Amino acid sequence: MAEAVEFSSAPAHAGRKDTRALTVIAPPAWSWQLVWRSLAILPRYTDLLYTLTAHRIKVRYKQSLLGPAWAICQPLAMMVVFAVVFSTVIRVPTSGHPFPVFAYSALLPWTAFAAAVGSASTSLVAHAGLVTRVYFPREILPVTYIAAAIFDLAVASTVLLAMVVYYQIPVTAALLWIPPILILLAGVALTVSLALCTIHARYRDVGVAMPLLLQVWFFASPVLYPLTAVPAAWRSIYTLNPMAGIIDGFRSAVLEGRTPDLAALGSALAVVTVGLPVAYLWFKHVDATMADLV
Amino acid sequence: MIDVRCHQVSKQYAPRAAGLGGPEAFWALRDLSFDVVRGEALGVIGPNGAGKSTLLKLLAGITTPTAGRIEIRGRLSALIEVGSGFHPELSGRENVYLSGAILGMRRREIAAKFDEIVAFAGVAPFIDMPVKWYSSGMYVRLGFSIAAHLDPDILLIDEVLAVGDAVFQEQCLARIRALRRSGTTAILISHDLAAIELLCDRVMLLEGGRAVDCGAPDAVVRTYRQRLGARREPEMPGTKATRPTPIELTGLELLGRNDGPGATRRTGDPLDLSVSYRSAEGSVDQVVEVFFYSGDGRVLHCQLTTAFSAEPLAVLPGNGTVEFSIEELPLQPGDYAVVASTRDAASQQIGSWLKGVPLTVRPGRMVRGHFYLPHAWRHQGDRQELQ
Repeated sequence: MAEAVEFSSAPAHAGRKDTRALTVIAPPAWSWQLVWRSLAILPRYTDLLYTLTAHRIKVRYKQSLLGPAWAICQPLAMMVVFAVVFSTVIRVPTSGHPFPVFAYSALLPWTAFAAAVGSASTSLVAHAGLVTRVYFPREILPVTYIAAAIFDLAVASTVLLAMVVYYQIPVTAALLWIPPILILLAGVALTVSLALCTIHARYRDVGVAMPLLLQVWFFASPVLYPLTAVPAAWRSIYTLNPMAGIIDGFRSAVLEGRTPDLAALGSALAVVTVGLPVAYLWFKHVDATMADLV
Repeated sequence: MIDVRCHQVSKQYAPRAAGLGGPEAFWALRDLSFDVVRGEALGVIGPNGAGKSTLLKLLAGITTPTAGRIEIRGRLSALIEVGSGFHPELSGRENVYLSGAILGMRRREIAAKFDEIVAFAGVAPFIDMPVKWYSSGMYVRLGFSIAAHLDPDILLIDEVLAVGDAVFQEQCLARIRALRRSGTTAILISHDLAAIELLCDRVMLLEGGRAVDCGAPDAVVRTYRQRLGARREPEMPGTKATRPTPIELTGLELLGRNDGPGATRRTGDPLDLSVSYRSAEGSVDQVVEVFFYSGDGRVLHCQLTTAFSAEPLAVLPGNGTVEFSIEELPLQPGDYAVVASTRDAASQQIGSWLKGVPLTVRPGRMVRGHFYLPHAWRHQGDRQELQ
């Protein structure tokens, strides 16, 4: 038996540790380990995330005259239309704020959300050529659209800043609520996008239904009216919409200098803490064979 | 050390989604197991639909197997379709960074190799132009150049050599050889059996999603050719004898080490052939010739003949043989059919001909071009004091 042991001893080089990373490709399991493992390899792709996001922004403005000004134009044009309709034809309560700044401060987060979800949800199918030819963590595609939308929001904020100065709205410490609100915004947009991407890979109905979904969502969010205009009895159901708390929080932090309605932000927080991990697990599970579907 | 390990890998393509209908599910790969050790080059061959591309997609991580497990040690780079990550609006420079990032390179790494990548692709003057203005050749060259400068531990190659012009293909081959010399493990998928034989240490034959043979390149390639029935009966050109012929050919033999009726030689090997005949009368107006046709009989590559000698072939009544000897076989790797015929020197009329004997030429003296030209060379140099 001693001989057998001798024979089975490892060859000389096996004692040295192989420093190369081991990649295992196997059918995906429904386990949280899938989420951990997927997150663990993401840092390797930060350069891709950066390059692709920069690419989104660059491509959008290549061969266009106005360039980055388009990021401002879209919410600004909507604001002008709404200002004409809702301050002359139909009067809506604005809690005493001038309608242009009232609308614009809500259009900023809404436009970012709608642009992010609209393009991120169909991003995998739109990049089918890439998805079927190269491996990379596919969640990077929706993330880059969300990052680009947040970038556009930052550009468009300059107009809001000008309005704040023009209407002499006091600048307060409540503005510090803006970064956490934007993180929630990005988190909700990512959750929705990952879920819709997953469905879209199988059912192209998502692409067709997207404009309708975003329009309904727009009117279900406090963009053209204040959250306080919603009857109190309906408020708790209304604020199940995670965008309700986010848009209202953004507007009240800028215009009123007050702490956002934390109860209304609760649903957004729940989406990000519970919905996002579940959506990510589902996404990664389908992502394993995404190339066969798109 | 094993760099790639496939353990009972199966892949099923299922209908796209419930409620949408679509094609039946089918298995593209069934229970495939193999190992590739560090520094080894494995070739994968097989007919269309055998599962070659599916295997490559699984190894590249583009999709996952339905069952089984693949382990890959080290950085794997796949040359599947070059330039697939390009965006037409962006400049060549921006696309190098974008494409490199998609392939898993760091910005710093790309910056360090940028000049080398651009020089290899030969697009330096156009690097700041949008790639939509590039010619398709420039597009492909830049795409390959990025992928080839990844410094992978394991290289996957799928028919990339089928694109681009001859100069570019040569560059690609040189780059692949250089990577192989530096110890890169490689898996090649190709229909180009000669390239597979030349570059690979081991070849696996896939059929219907299963490995039917795996081993030494020449043996597996031969098995594949036999299974394909590649040695079809050549369609012989020329006319049959229209009048009584003074001599009748009775046999054509490739002399030396043969397998079965055919023979295998390398480019540059010597080759001796003998043509036997039976003649009813003596004559001096007959020419014996040997033709090398492509395996399917469509292309005539070259010819041996007794026509150009000072003395004409003097045929005596009875049996005889004419022997031809080739010092260095000029044929490039491939399948050939060797045909013998007699011709009347004056009328050019073909008298008797023999059906083809198969000849397989394997890579030997590797040269580019239509044929290997046996040649000599001399060198002259003057010793000069430098400085």
